[in-house]
Amino acid sequence: MSKKTIHIPLGSQHISLLEPVRFKFECENEKIVGVDSDVGFVHRGIERACTTKFKFDAIGYVVARVCGLCAITHSLSYTVAIEKLLGGEISKKAKYLRILLLELDRIHSHMLCLSHTCENAGFEAMFMRIMGDRELVMEIQELLTGNRIQFDYISIGGVNRDLDVQTAKKIIENLALVKAKVFSYIDEFTNNWSLSLKFKGIGALTLEDAYRFNAIGPLARACGLPIDVRNEIEYLPFDEVGFKMQTHNDGDINARNMVRLNEILNSLEMCENILRGLPEGEIFTKLKGKPKGEALMRFEAPRGELMYYVKGDGSAMLNRVRIKTPTFACIPAFSHIFMGEEYADAPAILASFDPCLSCTAK
Amino acid sequence: MKKIEVALKSVRDEIKSFYDYKKWHFLTLNGVALEDNRMQVQWIFSKYEALDEVVIYYAEIDYTERIPSLSDIIPSAIISQRELVDMFGVEVEGSEKGLYLDEDSMQTPLRSCLV
Repeated sequence: MSKKTIHIPLGSQHISLLEPVRFKFECENEKIVGVDSDVGFVHRGIERACTTKFKFDAIGYVVARVCGLCAITHSLSYTVAIEKLLGGEISKKAKYLRILLLELDRIHSHMLCLSHTCENAGFEAMFMRIMGDRELVMEIQELLTGNRIQFDYISIGGVNRDLDVQTAKKIIENLALVKAKVFSYIDEFTNNWSLSLKFKGIGALTLEDAYRFNAIGPLARACGLPIDVRNEIEYLPFDEVGFKMQTHNDGDINARNMVRLNEILNSLEMCENILRGLPEGEIFTKLKGKPKGEALMRFEAPRGELMYYVKGDGSAMLNRVRIKTPTFACIPAFSHIFMGEEYADAPAILASFDPCLSCTAK
Repeated sequence: MKKIEVALKSVRDEIKSFYDYKKWHFLTLNGVALEDNRMQVQWIFSKYEALDEVVIYYAEIDYTERIPSLSDIIPSAIISQRELVDMFGVEVEGSEKGLYLDEDSMQTPLRSCLV
């Protein structure tokens, strides 16, 4: 068959996309041989707003609006960077509660990604099932913070709400329900051909290329690269609450699904450990002063490493707030993975990246 | 966080000799506005599986200076180079404008952040 080169766009609006992004594929017959991406459709100028419109103590709530899915990771990364500059130590209880919300964010975000993966496989019933089950986690977040998404829970010096015994009991009940559901997902993703065979060998990234393109998050861990910021920072006691890094070796869509499923299980275990061993103490410590100097903080968001760099001169307005989001960092790796794949698989491959364009364009 | 100052003309050589891609993870390229139409350009790295080990190579430059590209040494640098071009209106070798900003957008939004 002779080769015919055609250019096919995917996005900016496409049925398989949750947010606007555009890829322009150069295809030889059905095979992708060139990729160009446009990721800036929802740029909102948040970094500039942080240094011109808001004082440092309000920015934690502003950056929670960068993304609806990993709002906690954004406000936490910023807040801890500021706490480093202000000095002082926050209570162990506040640290535990911060981890609890961080892991709940990961659970519901991974569930959204997995449901979307099912939708791309044409498995609508499973998509609806996971989205329905995800409500259990959203309910927990509402109980803890007052909001289903974009919670203003993290504050400079601690957290804004304490956890009472009744709420903790309800959360433990919901987590047990979610855990049973996740075991059933693992069964489906392992044994159902629409979700396992269909995705094996598709959209694969090798370990060598993961290193070369600085891949992060589940994308990297699915090909065996052991990178998880929870393993690389001392600030929060992740090891005390049972963090275990999840990796896989195949690097394909199926491997990314399995890493996310195992991470949900580990996050559920961490949440249970936190609730059963929550330290006594205050949830808030007053930190005085204004930030002077520069600080950098990283946390593991559901999609990978999120980095905040802040610089202050001792006034209430900061000189610089730099946000490096996980999807942004992975765009070169995404483009590389598409090369050589069939165009028909592009939507499923893209969904398996779990891209967040709201974060990327900020 | 360890900071290492480099001259812009030698940044490629310095980072090339430092960057072992299986030991160091490239975090991002960052820009920080300084006074007198100058900025600090930072290349930020973290060490795999090490606790809080971050290294920042930085150069202080005029906005008119041309920043060399590192995308042949670090392929993933290409995206943050394009961001730097948009946000600070500087020239980075081989990096075009328009990642975030359109022609009718506010230009060089972070250059004027020093208030």
